[in-house]
Amino acid sequence: MLKDLLEGKPLRHPIHPMLVHFPIGLFLLSFLVDLASLACPDAPNLLRGSFYAMLLGITTALVAAMPGFVDYSDIRRDHPGKVTAARHMILNLVVVTIYGINLWVRSSTLSDPKISLLPLLLSIIGIGLLSVSGYLGGRLVYDEGIAVGRHKRRTPTPQDTLHFSIEHAARDGEAAFVPVPEAEHLRNGETLRIEIDKEVMTIARIDNQLYAFQEFCTHRFGPLSEGSFHGFNVQCPWHNSCFDIRTGKVTKGPAKVDLKTFKIEIRDRKVGVLLRKAHDQKT
Amino acid sequence: MKWLLDLLKGKWLGHPLHPILAHVPMAMWPAALIFDLLSQWQIGGNAIVRLSFYAIVFGLATAVLAAPTGLVDWSGIKKEKPAWKIGLYHMALNLFVTLLFAVNLGLRWQTFREASEVDRVPLLLSAVGTLILIGSAYLGGRMVYEYGISVARMSKKKWRKLAEAGGANLPSE
Repeated sequence: MLKDLLEGKPLRHPIHPMLVHFPIGLFLLSFLVDLASLACPDAPNLLRGSFYAMLLGITTALVAAMPGFVDYSDIRRDHPGKVTAARHMILNLVVVTIYGINLWVRSSTLSDPKISLLPLLLSIIGIGLLSVSGYLGGRLVYDEGIAVGRHKRRTPTPQDTLHFSIEHAARDGEAAFVPVPEAEHLRNGETLRIEIDKEVMTIARIDNQLYAFQEFCTHRFGPLSEGSFHGFNVQCPWHNSCFDIRTGKVTKGPAKVDLKTFKIEIRDRKVGVLLRKAHDQKT
Repeated sequence: MKWLLDLLKGKWLGHPLHPILAHVPMAMWPAALIFDLLSQWQIGGNAIVRLSFYAIVFGLATAVLAAPTGLVDWSGIKKEKPAWKIGLYHMALNLFVTLLFAVNLGLRWQTFREASEVDRVPLLLSAVGTLILIGSAYLGGRMVYEYGISVARMSKKKWRKLAEAGGANLPSE
């Protein structure tokens, strides 16, 4: 599948962060060579070199954009990193546009000994915006965990969180039955990310059975709805902690604390989660 | 001493420093290979020979800065983790590649000002160096994307809050 290819699944490494080294490095190089032309106007060919660096930078930036779009579109809609990713993308588009103009402006003055003000200014603005954008891209990986461990997952990850409420659920003494109709359509290895009155959980279908457990890993709270499944174990995409989804027990560290699990039931041919009353949940 | 470690880890920036700095050699040295090849195909003339030289210099200068930040990140990994060994290979390969490009630079020092073509030996060194660099950088990327090194290290508190709000079982702080 083209999407899997652009996400770097066969390489077991995302493609976009591999390619972005080139525009970042080359735009910086072009700026440094511009500065060198101011410092030593006697050195020949500097502006021509700077032009080539910029040209290669723009080319590689356009190539990097493609897997970048795919990575962006695969982030869950309500993920805290989605906004950062949108900013990162818009900034990058602005930066490439500025460099396109820069390249065009300087193309007629390649034999000059010194860089002139306008292209230099455009380079400074470009580097400034690129630094911010690159920083945001890094935060997406190191803070938000975007694309970390994604290649281990074979099925698509949830595109959104589904919201439910206990309020209108059928009561059964201390427990409430909350139907989750979407769970019926899950295929093996697929997950839902759902929230029932603030309680966030993953529903997964494994071996034709549905299981529900807390969404957040107990190590650094990675998203288990984006985890991979090995038998009845869910593996956190971030640091590879494993949990038995039937019991919630840790089967492999670094996590030390077990997951909360929830009961899945079928009532009147409806699949749903059986929740004890909210105040009973934290025990 | 702690302030230095924190500085190298990038705590002040809220972002690990090593992967930022690593962008420069990772871009410059393959770019130098491309420029060398262009010069062999008679494209760009002396401008491209010079550009290749500057790219190698910029890469070397940044690699020297990136090395201590990488060492500090690596020293934080427990020895029994698979990422420790990968980090060790990553480090050894990077040292070797840096050495190759230093030699490469020395070989073109005398000629880059006038030459319109890069010699065979430096070109070969650029090619070998780039190949090893790609392998090494891949290992570096695997440490992040497979083993989660530096992932959610600085944002741990934020995620803990989200997990807490989501009713999750949590380890005690």
